[in-house]
Amino acid sequence: MSAGGARMLRRQVVNGLALGLATLATLTGLIALVWILATILINGAGALGPHLFTRATPPPGSEGGLLNALLGSLMMTGLAVLLGTPIGILAGTHLAESGGRRWIAEAVRFVNDILLSAPSIVTGLFVYEIIVQPSGHFSGIAGAVAMAMVLLPVVVRTTDETLRLVPVSLREAALALGAPLWRMVLFVLYPAARAGMMTGLLLGIARISGETAPLLFTALNNQYLSFDLTRPMANMPVVIFQFALSPYPAWQQLAWAGALLMTLFVLLLSLGARFMLRPRRG
Amino acid sequence: MDASAAMPDFATEGETAPRIMIENLHFFYGATEALRNITLALPDRQATGMIGPSGCGKSTLLRVLNRMYDLYPGQRATGRVMMDGENIISPDADVNTLRRRIGMVFQKPTPFPMSIYENIAFGARLHERLSRAEMEERVEWSLSRAALWDEVKDRLRAPATGLSGGQQQRLCIARSIAIRPEVILLDEPTSALDPISTLKIEELIDELKTDFTIVIVTHNMQQAARCADQVAFFYLGELVEVGPAAQIFTAPRQRRTQEYITGRFG
Amino acid sequence: MSESTGHIVKSYEQELKRLADLMAEMGGLVESQTALAALAVVEQDGGAAARTIEIDPRVDALEREVEQFVIRLLALRQPVANDLRKIVAALKITSDLERIGDYAANVAKRSLVLAQFSLPYSLTGIAHMARMVQENLKAVIDAVSETNAAKAIAVWRSDQAVDDIYNTIFRELITYMIEDPRNITPCTHLLFIAKNLERIGDHATNIAEKVHYTATGETLPETRPKGEHSPYAGSERS
Repeated sequence: MSAGGARMLRRQVVNGLALGLATLATLTGLIALVWILATILINGAGALGPHLFTRATPPPGSEGGLLNALLGSLMMTGLAVLLGTPIGILAGTHLAESGGRRWIAEAVRFVNDILLSAPSIVTGLFVYEIIVQPSGHFSGIAGAVAMAMVLLPVVVRTTDETLRLVPVSLREAALALGAPLWRMVLFVLYPAARAGMMTGLLLGIARISGETAPLLFTALNNQYLSFDLTRPMANMPVVIFQFALSPYPAWQQLAWAGALLMTLFVLLLSLGARFMLRPRRG
Repeated sequence: MDASAAMPDFATEGETAPRIMIENLHFFYGATEALRNITLALPDRQATGMIGPSGCGKSTLLRVLNRMYDLYPGQRATGRVMMDGENIISPDADVNTLRRRIGMVFQKPTPFPMSIYENIAFGARLHERLSRAEMEERVEWSLSRAALWDEVKDRLRAPATGLSGGQQQRLCIARSIAIRPEVILLDEPTSALDPISTLKIEELIDELKTDFTIVIVTHNMQQAARCADQVAFFYLGELVEVGPAAQIFTAPRQRRTQEYITGRFG
Repeated sequence: MSESTGHIVKSYEQELKRLADLMAEMGGLVESQTALAALAVVEQDGGAAARTIEIDPRVDALEREVEQFVIRLLALRQPVANDLRKIVAALKITSDLERIGDYAANVAKRSLVLAQFSLPYSLTGIAHMARMVQENLKAVIDAVSETNAAKAIAVWRSDQAVDDIYNTIFRELITYMIEDPRNITPCTHLLFIAKNLERIGDHATNIAEKVHYTATGETLPETRPKGEHSPYAGSERS
């Protein structure tokens, strides 16, 4: 009985120790996160105001907002989504549904995973090489292409994953009614996988909206409000980068405000993704 | 002793012309032979029950009948499956037309992620051009045949995933009959359902026999006894014995059949 | 088809074994009842008659026990194929056995009455018939425990001989009664004894049919291949 008691005690000690370490690790992570959020909130909140959305970035020493950067980011992200999503969904569908040539699917999946984890600066350099250099100047289009290339593997991956989660029996049920493959994919698989696919897209957007490295090589920046996608284009990450490093307090203020806006945007997207994935019963 | 007098008088029960005639069918998953030389008649407007231990080939046979195996490379069938003078497993046969004529209901309910109405309309739209009124009529007809209409008529636009398991399975049966097939294949249709839902499906199968030829694969031997007119016992890819349900369950002719149905296997 | 392997569910197998044991016990009791009854008549052994009658309630109790047990098996095990045939046959066989027990007791009772008369003729015919019936009964009870179709058919065929000897005894007893009206009472009792033995033989035949069905799944034809059907026999079979 006493041996059993000793063993029990040992177990409790080990259990307590492991639990303590795990809690400590969690706290460390949480503290870092709260610290970052608090810093951004404290420094950025003061700089918030309607002027951010009505005025373009100012020259050094004068007042201004972030209008051109916000619009630029919005337009380039929009274009990147338009470019990357259809290709990504089609490629993901092919991966999930190519029952036959499995080894091709496996190879593409592998390459896609490499692309997914490739440093985004490499993507930026690549687009610089194929678009910026031949055309002779930085442009919004080049920025959008670079962002699309970051987005693409995310969409491919999530489409592939969520489609493969759809039960085989559902596919067979549709085909057993005499449906051709494309109708089965379009009317049964996509609706069944919609939540997962949308979530993947939102997370992809969250990822590209914060990318700085590829944009430095492609869209660069533009001090003025511009809707011309063939010209260099202002965008949030690069503006934050430049202004934060500048010696001017007004610019630094704008950089903090921009950082806060970006954080809120990403938070919103994450909440959106959670909302889509919530369990739903009709 | 007079041999004919000694025979039980079950034999008269199953004497209609076959709707489908399976002749010398072999089926392969790659190099593995999953069905060996099956010859079996499926009588018109009767229920044929297929029983046998897991992996005996009964579900495989079901999937041959509507060529579901076409989806998977490396799976092939040889022999003949004749329906109206046509060999339905020949490469010339049109798969989509075949699947319109031979519907299938799966083990787990498979409602599509759309409304109850759209679930039924999906299949009907594939094969026929129906006006709105005709489609509404077809939806009501199928749901009524599947004994589901009264339960769902007020929520046709609600998502089908909100129905109970038993209702979902009846919806899948309704979806199958909406395209007006001649044969309905049921692959363990009640294995995921509670006893009352199971009985409802069984009652439905009995009802559907007036119009459709039914093939039901089941692990539940009582179910085969209750639903099927003819029962086929499969073991290791072979058809061991086929006969009227009453004969199979009172006096099977083959020892392996008897050992399986009485629970003396292996 | 032989019995081959045992049931996967061991308790089911044990229950089937128990059913067989109950049947064997009942068969043994009825067999000795018949033997004692024959002894009581042929040897005018009053003790044997009393024992025959004593056994009867135990046979009745066993029949009820088998009946309950069969209902239980049908409800809980939902038997099919050879199990189903065996269990249903058990129900019917025990009811035949119980009837045989009743007939044996009746023979024993009549033997007590018969003992009060001095019989002017030999009982060889009755003794012979009783021996044949006992042999058939023993054979059929063996057939039950072995589920032996061949033995069952042998019993089923040999019942014809019992019927024939019954007809002979019938004619013989009528002759005695015509000869001397004082013979009417003992001869009537003897007639009933012979009739009861003949009925025991019929029930043995019924059991043989059940055994044959259990073993093969096939029912034997409605009527046995009989020769001349005697107008005296009246051996209606239940």
